[in-house]
Amino acid sequence: MTKRKQLLIRIIICATVAGLIVLATMFASFLAPNDPYATSAAAIRQTPSAQYPFGTDNLGRCIFSRVLYGGRTTIGATFLLVAISFVVGTLIGMLCGYFGGIADRLLMRIADVALAFPQMVIAIAVAGILGGGIFGAMLALGITMWISFARLARSHTYSMKNQSYISAAILAGKSNWYIITRHIFPNLLAPLLTNGLTQIGVTMVGISGLSFLGIGVTPPTAEWGAMINEARAYIQLSPWAVFFPGLAIAVTIIVFNELGDLVMDYREM
Amino acid sequence: MKEILEGIHLNKIFRDGDSLVVAANDVSFTLHEGEFLGIVGESGCGKSTLLRLVSGLIKPDSGELTHDGEAYTGMSPAKTGRFLQMIFQDAYASFDPHMRMHRSILEAAPKNVSEEELVQLLDDLHLEAKLLEKRPGELSGGQCQRMSIARAILSGADILLCDEITSALDVVTEAQIVSLLQGIRQKREFSMMFVSHNIALVSQLCDRMIVMHDGQIVEAGTTKELLENPKQEYTKKLIASSRMQSL
Repeated sequence: MTKRKQLLIRIIICATVAGLIVLATMFASFLAPNDPYATSAAAIRQTPSAQYPFGTDNLGRCIFSRVLYGGRTTIGATFLLVAISFVVGTLIGMLCGYFGGIADRLLMRIADVALAFPQMVIAIAVAGILGGGIFGAMLALGITMWISFARLARSHTYSMKNQSYISAAILAGKSNWYIITRHIFPNLLAPLLTNGLTQIGVTMVGISGLSFLGIGVTPPTAEWGAMINEARAYIQLSPWAVFFPGLAIAVTIIVFNELGDLVMDYREM
Repeated sequence: MKEILEGIHLNKIFRDGDSLVVAANDVSFTLHEGEFLGIVGESGCGKSTLLRLVSGLIKPDSGELTHDGEAYTGMSPAKTGRFLQMIFQDAYASFDPHMRMHRSILEAAPKNVSEEELVQLLDDLHLEAKLLEKRPGELSGGQCQRMSIARAILSGADILLCDEITSALDVVTEAQIVSLLQGIRQKREFSMMFVSHNIALVSQLCDRMIVMHDGQIVEAGTTKELLENPKQEYTKKLIASSRMQSL
């Protein structure tokens, strides 16, 4: 079997696992055995059992059901944020790369300054100012997230605009908008999608991290980072309450990161 | 013969770091209707820059360009494309790698071009119509370059600017392209500026020649005159080196 074929098989496996995770969270209402928000004084900190596959937390809530519903919040917010960053960053990057000029220089310097600080530090500062909540967390992460898409789109567009096929399209009388949408964007799509896949893991860590710090999702909303934050107070009494949301974060991030890396390797072969 | 294109005292200087590169230094030329004009010189002498100036893809620092007696200096390439088209050195790079040839070729064509016209042109260029469904990466270098000739001709432009169009091809394919251009010339009316470092190749195809060196025209004349009686040392060297290569 060729190396390319092996890589393709690994991509299919990773994509299947990623798809199953997404589907499980999407259909959480059908898969969850219990109400994720129902508290029960009789079921406080129960060990994993048939009724509560991942045990219960300090309020007697089913951790398995909360992990499934929490995935909706974490994965949903992550996908939405990556999608918005993809659109905004790509558009800015393509316009900067194609037209150049003062706007290009200004936006890229802003990007350089923003990248000089760790993304999480900026996100914590912004989320802190905004006062928490899922939209605050998304906005805080989104402030820097578009940059990777913009830089990638800009550098590709910049080198592409000097290609002969762009000159040919210009001489064919095609408008700038036509050239950007029909010639440049389709040729950018593959590297941008690969970047999008790798950004999913980073964003998930960011959203869960902010929730863990108490400046992301607010309780009682089920969210993996927030669940770990709530449960860490009694980790010695019921470690499963921390373990399972942590496992969900780790597995999801590993799967999406691996998928991004594999797709990148496949493209470069 | 009627003058179809004229360049008058064209100048272009590029900045390369701290130094300045004179790519076109007081370049003047004329192209007559139906004429094939060769531009020869070593790499970096300003041949390709001259074509890009003529096409409008880059603007001259000074000087004037006219088409059919009307000035078009500074005109956007989207407008110059109505009367001239360029054929590029790297045929593969001159087509969008994701686009099928059919769509790429029709991009430059007027809306009223029929499929029959397209197929007839491809036939003239010894290309099969089924190649239109392929992407550039699926074609050979020669097929791809013939497709770019088809695109330029189908656009209806009366001037073709050929920038080292055979330099990336093997000698057999190079000869095929030259022969096809000669054949097409009999069937369709167009003028051509043909840039090459290969004086022997240009002499097979062109009626007149311009010899460029360091951004300047050092000698110009009919192909016969230049080959038989070169006046400048540089031209003599070019001819001698071409003969050496053919040995």
